[in-house]
Amino acid sequence: MTGDIMDAEKIIDSLNSKFPEAISDTNTESERRISAYAAADNIVEICQYLKDELQFGHLSSETAVDLIQKNEVDIVYHIGSYDHPVVLTLKAKLPRDKPQIESVVPVYWNANWYERETYELFGVQYMNHPDLRNLVLPDELLGDWPLRKDYEGFPQNTAKNLV
Amino acid sequence: MDEELKEKSYEQPVAKEQAEEEENIPGVVTTTSQEINKFLQKTKAQDFINWGRKNSLWFMAQAMGCCGVEIIVTGMSPMDTDRFGIIPRNSPRQADVMIISGYVTKKYLPALKKLYDQMPSPKWIICMGDCSISGGPFYESYSTVQNIDEIFPVDVFIPGCPPRPEALIQGFLEVQKKIEAKEDKGSGYDR
Ligand code: SF4
Repeated sequence: MTGDIMDAEKIIDSLNSKFPEAISDTNTESERRISAYAAADNIVEICQYLKDELQFGHLSSETAVDLIQKNEVDIVYHIGSYDHPVVLTLKAKLPRDKPQIESVVPVYWNANWYERETYELFGVQYMNHPDLRNLVLPDELLGDWPLRKDYEGFPQNTAKNLV
Repeated sequence: MDEELKEKSYEQPVAKEQAEEEENIPGVVTTTSQEINKFLQKTKAQDFINWGRKNSLWFMAQAMGCCGVEIIVTGMSPMDTDRFGIIPRNSPRQADVMIISGYVTKKYLPALKKLYDQMPSPKWIICMGDCSISGGPFYESYSTVQNIDEIFPVDVFIPGCPPRPEALIQGFLEVQKKIEAKEDKGSGYDR
């Protein structure tokens, strides 16, 4: 497989046949963008497979989306490849009251700071993360999870010099 | 959180130094430098001191937001601020003016207070840009510290987003006028 340029269909097929249980809701948005939902328990396996077998070696970003109506937090991984002209958006659904997921740092080392940031802003617990603490948020704000939709310290309306 | 921040605010910048204990040396009458200051403030000598101070306003090059770019321009040769005695310094120990130039985040506020404490008195503060005055575009953000003037004794506010270098120079001239008129907050006059 190495060296072959795969198109969007082939990548989705490969993922589906390797993880029939864990991959769901695959979607080919265009030739260059595909998205898929992954089961949260298998996220490290899937990332390992993507990196080793499908040459998806570049994690461009990792973040979260707070879907308060559905009562879930989606973790979003944007993974690119140097071999295939395709960007994969991998998502994992987590319950909103206790979001917990395995860290992908063993696969993509640069996920380290992304995960720390997602932790401080959304309160997602990454299991087996090497150093899970706040990245830029001051210590006293830790635990408020400011980017969650039900965060109450926002908007701040105490400015008195507003014109 | 906001109450906590305000508790730590500065009433009068010089108040701390007044707490120096008087020394007891037999046969010698001692005084503290603060008393000399207080005495001089009541005499004509203060006018001369102020003339010197107002013509050497060295500012701390400390860019905090996008307004920082305008501070850098102000320090460059086309603006030639040297003619007013305004010179950028890299260390708070050598600076007289702190320019709060942009959004102060809750994380940065302790560091800003530390920098202010490190500056030798007399020291003046200029609030530059809408961000430091009211929060600017970030006034509703979860991490912006609002109402900076309740925390620091601010002498001059320069509105704008960002203010042009000319506006900053005008701000310095306003500080000079205040120093000359003995109305600034940095010299610690009894009021
Ligand atoms: S006032 Fe405007 S230019 Fe200045 S720091 Fe704020 S947003 Fe940036």
